[in-house]
Amino acid sequence: MTSVRRWNPIAIVIAALVAVPLAAWAQSDSVAAKPAAPAQPAAAATPAQPGTRDECMTCHLDQDSPEAIAYKNDIHRSRGVTCADCHGGDPHSDDQDAAMNKAKGFIGVPKKQKIPLLCGSCHGGQDSGFTSRYKLKNVLAEYHGSVHERSLDANPSGAQCVSCHGVHSIVSVTDAKSPVHPSRVVDTCAKCHGDARYMRDFNPSLPVDQKEKYLTSIHGQRHAKGDWKVATCVSCHSNHAVQQVKDPRSPVYPTQIPATCARCHANEKYMAGYDIPTTQYRDYKESVHGIALLKKSDLNAPACNSCHGNHGAAPPGVASVIAVCGQCHQSNEELYQKSPHQAVFAGKKLPGCVVCHSNHGVRATSDAMVAFVKPSPCADCHRNDSSDKAAPAMLRIRGLLDSLTAGQKEAEAVLDRAENLGMDIADARYSLKDVNQARVKARVAIHSFAEKEFEEAARPGIVVAASARAAGKEAIHEHRFRRQGLVVSTLIVTLAALLLWLKIRQIERRQRDEIV
Amino acid sequence: MPNLLEKTREWVRERLNIDPVIEFASHKTVPSWKGSFWYYFGGVSLFFFIVQVATGILLLMYYQPGEKTAFESVRFIVTKVKFGWLIRSIHSWAANLFILSIFIHMFSVFFTKAFRRPRELTWYSGFILLALALGFGFSGYLLPWNTLAYFATKVGTTIVAVVPGIGGPIMQFLREGKDVSTATLTRFYGLHVAIIPAIFTAVLGLHMLLIQTQGMHEPESWKTIPAAQRKSMPFFPNFILRDVLLWLIVLNVLAILAVVFPWELGTKVDPFAPAPGGIKPEWYFLFMYQALKYFPAKLGPMDGEVVGIIFFGIAGLLWFLVPWWDAKTPQGARNRMINYVGIGVVLFMIVLTAVGVR
Repeated sequence: MTSVRRWNPIAIVIAALVAVPLAAWAQSDSVAAKPAAPAQPAAAATPAQPGTRDECMTCHLDQDSPEAIAYKNDIHRSRGVTCADCHGGDPHSDDQDAAMNKAKGFIGVPKKQKIPLLCGSCHGGQDSGFTSRYKLKNVLAEYHGSVHERSLDANPSGAQCVSCHGVHSIVSVTDAKSPVHPSRVVDTCAKCHGDARYMRDFNPSLPVDQKEKYLTSIHGQRHAKGDWKVATCVSCHSNHAVQQVKDPRSPVYPTQIPATCARCHANEKYMAGYDIPTTQYRDYKESVHGIALLKKSDLNAPACNSCHGNHGAAPPGVASVIAVCGQCHQSNEELYQKSPHQAVFAGKKLPGCVVCHSNHGVRATSDAMVAFVKPSPCADCHRNDSSDKAAPAMLRIRGLLDSLTAGQKEAEAVLDRAENLGMDIADARYSLKDVNQARVKARVAIHSFAEKEFEEAARPGIVVAASARAAGKEAIHEHRFRRQGLVVSTLIVTLAALLLWLKIRQIERRQRDEIV
Repeated sequence: MPNLLEKTREWVRERLNIDPVIEFASHKTVPSWKGSFWYYFGGVSLFFFIVQVATGILLLMYYQPGEKTAFESVRFIVTKVKFGWLIRSIHSWAANLFILSIFIHMFSVFFTKAFRRPRELTWYSGFILLALALGFGFSGYLLPWNTLAYFATKVGTTIVAVVPGIGGPIMQFLREGKDVSTATLTRFYGLHVAIIPAIFTAVLGLHMLLIQTQGMHEPESWKTIPAAQRKSMPFFPNFILRDVLLWLIVLNVLAILAVVFPWELGTKVDPFAPAPGGIKPEWYFLFMYQALKYFPAKLGPMDGEVVGIIFFGIAGLLWFLVPWWDAKTPQGARNRMINYVGIGVVLFMIVLTAVGVR
């Protein structure tokens, strides 16, 4: 069996020597955009020695075939892959009819939807001889299930191997001439993803301005200056296993994005020379945003791209931080824009929200944030003395916050006691949700940095907490009343029973006396 | 005061001839022996029934059957209505004590052989009252529309479906559909507050009429002792007053249980939620539920569960017909076998209930 497998392709190659030029000639335009389409993959080729005579090339070069000319410098030719390895036929025959004989496996131009399998005969994990000799990766497995494979299944013009790598002039990805070299890969992707007419056939709602955005990004700007280390399309989307963004397997699915960005941005060695920190991912993972997204899988929580953009990724400028945070924290932004802090921070070129909350390591807020001592951010500017005009308002705001928290704690403690006594305090317990709601509103209102607005938000919560506490106390009182009522009623009934017992004894004694 | 009493009696006498009743009660006697205590459980059961009717009527004033109202209205009763918590708790506790009391009453009648001629009809009617009381419990359990009740009813009605032939239609009738739903709730409500009470009251009337006309059963041992040694007490006032005394004690116990251990409402039904673990029927069905678990999956060509249901069906029928198959009944002779069967049944019920509770 082994020998048959080994010799059949060679016979096919000989036949292909004659057939390939004609078929290839007919399909010789822009192969990257409009890849050739084989009917079926040729059989796995046996590696020929580089420099082995290839009659296909001989004839087609004689005819100045552009494909043959291009193939002279193709990496596959240098590794001994003949025309017949892809097109079938007999590469050893100089007779066109014999070389391009279908009986010898000649398939002409491979059908587009068969190309991945054809390339996969060497790049698909199955050992064709080339696979082990050149340590080829199983790229086909990565391609399987990708969004590009699905597009190809649906439409022959979907992306497959030659769409990106080209054909007949394929060179190593490390070669600057390769369409997938870092210097050219953005253009290669944009060839389809920047073509609205083409993309309409696959995903009409997908934007086609990624390249334009990319060129405005820090990545794109550095890339334009010849920095090939910066991220390109494949750095984030992967290359062969590209998935839709909404697919959880995609490296740019919301929960995957931080780790994807961190592959470069958390790598001190890789980032050396860029003069930016590499602690963002570590800070983000511990932040309230990171916990929500990565631990609680809350897809509404922001990932790196929510603030920095994705294709146009760049740090938000000082002036735009508030607008960026305001995408989600809209009310906070509106209140802040009207607050006295806005003008002061803008004047000092301070980055708004980040001043108090930091950027990547945003922590959950607490009442302790409003204070005159560190770690409160207020302590950076404010002092609790007469020289600080804001101090009295700060103290009152903090007092209201403390009242809200203490009121809730007390109410919960009283309700716990009542519940432990077996009393139904579900309504009061439920009302405590309003206290939490008031706390949320108060913490939003604090961005107005105005006592009145803050009190309007916090006061209802304080009232509800007091009311819940009163309901708990009433339940405890009711429990006491019930027990006391039980004691009284039990005593009355017992007394009645005792009197009845005495009456029975009296009656029976009289009956006995009457008998006697 | 005596004049007022006399005038009242005269006023009634003019309109209703109660003299035969007074005459009957004044001459009626109750055997007085070591087993007399057990006579009182009939009265205690009657007391619980009265409590159930009274508290049930009060609950009716607020209860609203329906998916969005059943649980909420019971919740309203126990949280907002003055003493609603007490009424509901008493109703729930008395329901259980009612069935316990009926069981005690039934076994005391069984072991004292009070079912023998001429009291067969009293036994039959008593058995029907027990079945109706269980129906009261089963239908009333669902009415608060809480999670435990919902799933227990689901299990209970599923078991009914196992009965060959008639099981499916009975389950369909009980559930008013394929599954337990608000339609089932409405049906159980109708059964609980109208149909079962009406039948129960009629059968209870017959049961009490039989007891009053036939008198209390005299102990078997009296047949062998001289008449002079047979002690008795007047039904009125002695027995009635002792009955009332026991009612007062039971009332105290009921009040303590209802106040110290208020009956929980639980959480509202979510029919789409998975059944919580450890779903069990009420304690009085537990021995059957537990026993069914011990039947193998297959017994010959039949499902073990079907065999179990048939077994309990036949056992219940035999229990109902005990005056008929107690061969020594006509002679009034001692029958130790009856005692052994009774002890066996009591042990079976107690042990399996205890295992089921665990």
